[in-house]
Formats: sequence, structure tokens, C-alpha cells
Amino acid sequence: MTPSTSKVGSIADAVALIPDGTRLAIGGFAIYQHPMAVVRALIRAGRRDLTVVGTVSGNEVDLLAGAGCLKRVETSYVGLEKYGLAPNFRRAVEEGRIEVVDYPEVLSFDRFRASQENLTFWPCDYLGGTDVLARNPDIKIFTCPITGRSLQAVPPADPEVVVLHAIAADERGNVILPRRHLLPQGLDVIMARGCDTVIVTVEKIVPRALVRRHAEQVQIPAYKTRLVVEAPWGAHPTAVLGRYATDDAHFRDYVAASASPEGFAAYLDRYVHAPADHAAYLERIGAERLGALTELDTL
Amino acid sequence: MSGSHHTPSAGAPTLAETIAVNLARSFSDGEVGFTGLVTGGAAALFGTSIPLAAMALAQAMHAPNLTILLAGWSHNPDLQSLSVMPDSEFDAVLRDLPCDAQMMTYPGPWSIRRGDIDFGFSSGVQVDAVGNINSVCVGDPARPKVRLVGPILQPEHMTLFGREYVMMPHHARRNFVERVDYVSGVGYPGGLDGRRRLGLHHGGPEWVVTPKCIFDFDKENGRIRLKSVHSEADRQDIAAHTGFAVDSTGVPQTAAPTLEELDLLRRHVDARGVLLGRREA
Repeated sequence: MTPSTSKVGSIADAVALIPDGTRLAIGGFAIYQHPMAVVRALIRAGRRDLTVVGTVSGNEVDLLAGAGCLKRVETSYVGLEKYGLAPNFRRAVEEGRIEVVDYPEVLSFDRFRASQENLTFWPCDYLGGTDVLARNPDIKIFTCPITGRSLQAVPPADPEVVVLHAIAADERGNVILPRRHLLPQGLDVIMARGCDTVIVTVEKIVPRALVRRHAEQVQIPAYKTRLVVEAPWGAHPTAVLGRYATDDAHFRDYVAASASPEGFAAYLDRYVHAPADHAAYLERIGAERLGALTELDTL
Repeated sequence: MSGSHHTPSAGAPTLAETIAVNLARSFSDGEVGFTGLVTGGAAALFGTSIPLAAMALAQAMHAPNLTILLAGWSHNPDLQSLSVMPDSEFDAVLRDLPCDAQMMTYPGPWSIRRGDIDFGFSSGVQVDAVGNINSVCVGDPARPKVRLVGPILQPEHMTLFGREYVMMPHHARRNFVERVDYVSGVGYPGGLDGRRRLGLHHGGPEWVVTPKCIFDFDKENGRIRLKSVHSEADRQDIAAHTGFAVDSTGVPQTAAPTLEELDLLRRHVDARGVLLGRREA
């Protein structure tokens, strides 16, 4: 018998799948559950001209924007929720260094549904009168062949690569969602289903036997995943629902440092460039801090 | 409620209470109301806390079958169990707040395009004279002076919901402009006819609520107008703080809460002062 193929690889393998100029979707939502270990590694590798296509974006886009990795962002929101505006993204846009294409939130979800269904557009009827429509040449007006109404054809998200962070997967790439999850985890699944190159970082690679005991929670089956990477605390400083909380102090330090380009450069040196890899980053954050963020989800 | 020690609530209504009561009276039984989770000071008060108090008050008064959607996904959360307002949309605190139903993915429990949501609350950095709102940028969108968060759910709020309450935490000329720098949520350009020409057959802004007044719209010509002012002092200086023409002549003062409404707000809806702030006993 031929053994099944392991999808397990390293963060460096993930970065190799995301060359300069990639059209990339990053899992997570606002300030929740982003694959930050990969995001930091992309910066460390000096990636340029990335396009991020997203739904509700946060510190992952802000970090990439500040580090000069982005050419274009297509999303409905870039911000840090209770920590305010995204300071580095804001600076980059105001200085004309990044092109932003604004989409409404629900349509930003539907663009990934269009990719999942392999549709060339998603129909919409509510953009009339907005600058979302007026300023976006990729949205086309058409006449509904059934009703004769004028509608808008919204382009699909069509990312070349999706990278997301989950709690667990097996070596074959079956990814487990927590039983009690929320919209951010649900949207990760939609993202993954609309792309042929899906990278999943996980808190823990677990035995296949454990996955098979939780088969109803596997929403991304092995044939959808290209690469699985074990990255404990891989979403830090964002939260992983049911595993650890947002690192509030780190976010506050991040926002304070980002008040000036020099301050942000110092942040990048300390947390992205100086640590050689994810393990070194975690050492820099420290076991005491990480331990304090742990959430006990169920008993 | 405990009977023997029941005395009427002390103190004149606060502005937040007055706004909550006026909103509550405008909701009908059986409606579904959608509020985001806005964070930080006055923005959180106007964007989330006042709307929640208003919907909970309506439930306690005339609308027991009204549905509250907190952060758009938690159905009828147990607000009275809160000791502090949640400040994160998708963390364990809100996940574990008891409620009737939770949205775990999209599409979820509500069908936004079928008109499931009767009304919503939104905000923006600018509102203009026909009710367009802007949360994207200040200045030329191609090279903005200030880049803000983006359109988020505003295009949907202003067209797919039955009606919209635009909640503005500050009332200054820079927030109330003749024409917004970016239309992220569309009002009544050309009135209801104008909306129809844009393909919009549903929804639109109903009120714009500020610390000084409530605006509504002449939906025939599409123009914003004063519906009420909160005080005579506001009547005097409102034009100076508004970037489009307003006429406060003959405009009534915002209706005051009844004793029953105040009592319900203070003793039942928000007994711990989590939503509308703690009051002197």
C-alpha cells in the first residue's frame, strides 16, 4: 500500500508559495485570528507588490502596508476596531503608496462566494448612487435578462493563494473548526473553498484519529489544502477563539509605536526582523505573557 | 419588580435617555433592529448603547416581539447580565453572552436582501444635505487628506434595511456638509424619485440623530430638515455648527420621556447604568 501524502511543511514553505505580486487572501476578521506568523515571515522575506483581497481587514493589512509589501487592497474595512484607525495603512494611502478598492461588507463576502461557485461575477442591485460603484471600473452595469432591471456585476475575489489560521488539522490537511465558532471562522471556510492554493497554519497538528472523532467539525477537507504548518500562537497578537485572547498590551504598544514611521520601524525591527523565525518571535513575547492570554473554552 | 420600595426615579432625563425614548417610540412590534458594535466614548454611546437601550425599552413597552441584533449577529442578548459594555465584536465575551440565536457564518440566520432587517443604526464622519453618509475618507478619495476605515456595511444599511437611523456623536460643521467627500451610504439625491432612478426601491435614512437635534427628510425633494431640537440653546447655535442650511423656526423641542418610560429605562432596561451611564441615586 502506498502511504498517504503529508501536507505538513514550514512557514518558509508557505512564504515560497506567495511570491512577489501574489493576489492573496488572508483569513481572520478585523483584529481576530489572522495567520500572523506567515504575515511576519512575508515581511521578513521582503515581499513586494502583493494585492490583498479581503472582507473585513485589520492589523494584518496594517502591518504589511507599513512594511511596504502591498500594492493594492480590496476590502470593506481596514481598522483596528477598539484600537482605532489602522495607522500604517492610513499613512500609506494618504501618501499614495497603496491603491484601495472599496467594497461593501456583504459584497466582500459574496465575492468569495462567487469564487467558490466559480462564477465570473456576483449580481447586485444596491450600489446606485455610491462612490463604491462610481469609482470602481471593475464593477460593470448589466441588464437582468429575466426582469430587465439594471444590475451591477461585481467581480469575484479570486485569490491566487489563501492563508488562514485554525486550531487544528491532521497531517493530511483536514482542518477542524471549533464547534462553537463565529462569523470570522465561518468566513475562513468560504475563503478556502474558493481557492486552489490554501495554506493553513494551526495551533496543533493532531492525529488523524482525533480528526475522525470530530469529523462533523471538519469544514476544510484534506483535498482542499495545499500546505499545513504547525504554528503555536501563530495568530498572536490577534485572538484565536476558544484558545487565547487578544494581546491587549501588545496592540496598545503597536498603535503607540505606529504614531510615526520611525516608531513603526522600531516595532518592525523588534518583532519582525530581529527574530529569525516564529519560535524566536514567541521567545521575544515571552512565556509569561502568552500563558496569561490562554482561554479555557470548555471543561 | 419589588413593590414596597418602589419610588419614582429621581432626576431629569439625560440627553441619552431622551434620544433612547424617542427612538423606542418609533419602533413597531415584530421588527428586527440591527446595530453594530461601535467602540470608544461618544461614538459607542450613539452607535451602540443608545440603540440597544431604545430597542430594549420598546420591547418592555409596546414591542415585545422586536428582535435586537447586537453586533449584527447576537439575537436578543441578555443585556441585563452585562456589567460592562462588550468592546470586541467576535471574542469569547460576546460569544458567551446568553441570547436567542447566534450567527456562525455567512449567509446566516437573516436574509439581508429579502428585507429581514427593518431598521439599523450607522454613523459616519460626514452626513450631507440629502442624507448621504461617508466613512471612507476626507478629501479627494484618490489621494485623501484622511483615510478612514472604508464603507463597511453602510451601502447595505442604507438600501437593504427598511430604514436607517444615522447616529452622529458630534455635531460640528465638518460633520454636516453640503456634499460628502465619498458616498458610502446613499440618501435621497433627487428624493424618492431620484432613488428609484438609481435602482433603489427600498430603505434609506429616516432620522439623523445628533447631540443637538434630530433631522428627518422631505423625501419628495430629498432635502434634510430639522425634526426637533433638544433644547432652546441648541436652537440658537445649530446653524453655526451645521455646514448646510437649516431653519429651526417653528421646529419643536424633542419630546420628553414620560415618567413611565424613564422608570422602565432606569429600573429595568439599564438598572446598572451599563448602557446609558450611571446616574446619581
